[in-house]
Amino acid sequence: MKRFIEDFKKHYKYSVYSAKSELKSEIANSHLSWLWWILDPLLFMMVYTFISVIVFRTSEPYFPVFVFIGLSSWKFFEKTVKQSVKLVSSNSSIVSKVYLPKHILIFVKMYANGFKMAVSFILVVIMMFIYRVPLSLNILYIIPIFITLIMFTFGASTIMLHFGVFVEDLSNVINVLLKLVFYMSGIFYSISNRVKEPYGSLLLKLNPMALFLDDLRASMLYCETPHRKLLLFWFLASCLVSAIGIRIIYKYENSYVKVI
Amino acid sequence: MENSRNSNENNIVIDVQDLKIRYRCLNKMSIRKSLLSLKKSKIEIFEAVRGISFQVPKGEIMGIVGKNGSGKSTLLRAIAGVFSPDEGSIDLHGHSVSLLSIGVGFQKKLTGRENIYLSGMLLGFSEEEIDNKIEEIIEFSELGDFINRPVKTYSSGMYSKLAFSITAILETEVILIDEVLSVGDSKFKKKSYKKMQQLITNEDRTVIIVSHNNDTLNKLCNSILWLHEGKIKMQGSPGEVLEAYEEFMS
Repeated sequence: MKRFIEDFKKHYKYSVYSAKSELKSEIANSHLSWLWWILDPLLFMMVYTFISVIVFRTSEPYFPVFVFIGLSSWKFFEKTVKQSVKLVSSNSSIVSKVYLPKHILIFVKMYANGFKMAVSFILVVIMMFIYRVPLSLNILYIIPIFITLIMFTFGASTIMLHFGVFVEDLSNVINVLLKLVFYMSGIFYSISNRVKEPYGSLLLKLNPMALFLDDLRASMLYCETPHRKLLLFWFLASCLVSAIGIRIIYKYENSYVKVI
Repeated sequence: MENSRNSNENNIVIDVQDLKIRYRCLNKMSIRKSLLSLKKSKIEIFEAVRGISFQVPKGEIMGIVGKNGSGKSTLLRAIAGVFSPDEGSIDLHGHSVSLLSIGVGFQKKLTGRENIYLSGMLLGFSEEEIDNKIEEIIEFSELGDFINRPVKTYSSGMYSKLAFSITAILETEVILIDEVLSVGDSKFKKKSYKKMQQLITNEDRTVIIVSHNNDTLNKLCNSILWLHEGKIKMQGSPGEVLEAYEEFMS
């Protein structure tokens, strides 16, 4: 734990700079450059809204905002986990030249993806104004929900990073798995309203992503209080997983370089 | 291992004791393979460095020779801290170290200038320290306007020139060089020799060079270490070791 904090402090500047430059290089050659950070979630929101409202004729109050919240936070989780699987081998040029605690690479991805999520959530706030969503103090719950989401993403990523080094086709498995979780998290439908009981509440209890999305919407759009106990449980579980993940990485990072 | 020159304790910068590094050939596996063979597969162990001890005093430029696969690069990486030894120890006495080798990890879409910051920070320098040095690096690298263009537009020579300049100017106390002295055109080569010689005159800098170019080593180094299949075959002044090595290789 002490080593973790020291490493974090020592490499903090690098990870922020690296995340910045990653964002920069992502848009370096595109014509619309940073507009893509706005366009990308916006267009996807339209696609899913179209499918649900026109094709499946289902809707929720403030539906576009509803989809947008789900999509933005899902993208953060999905991208970070996906990139973590291949993280060591895609950074082999760095990893084989200098010593770098490998979880710093996860931070880099989390900063970059987190920045994109923040941009999307600014759009969410703007859309909430346009749709005149009533606000209540419950909106403050988004802070603990986001913290839990970030911890959960980090924990999952540390585990993926470790096994991704040794198991070559893990990324294929993870891609399918993430797709499955995507459909089970209620990005473009409401689990509590559309999924029959007892499956609905079961899904909310067992799939943390579904829980986070549901609670984000509850506190931002519908003036409800989130599932506080469940959130606390997942927060503690994520902390535990992160701690285990960090421990594993410290123990085995020596051999990562030798495998690639 | 005794060292001919000023080997009193305070002056030793790199202290390698009985170093062994093994590669476990468990390699990568795929899920299909591990399902088919549920039994634990045999782990082959390959020992790249087999018990090496040596010391490098402050200010020395040491060359390492040896045929391909004799463990030279592995040794350098271990000293750079990329992986820790399986047995034995490496003591740098708290000195900062950087490893320079062909194809340093640059972000290809970013400009040379941004990559200088990235590499510098990876080596543990702060942004201000790099700010102070950046003009010098750019000047030394001879890249001119290219410094503001993406690295992917660089030729391979420019690439290596930039990499060399970053490490040479951002003075870490120990510099490890893996096969890069032969980069660039003849003018840049001369310049890097000069820079290396300048580093020699700087008493604080310690350099280890791996190269197959015996002329270079002869001119630059104070001592040579000859590795053969993971062990030290010979160590001493450039003249005698290189002569024996050339004889051995022919």
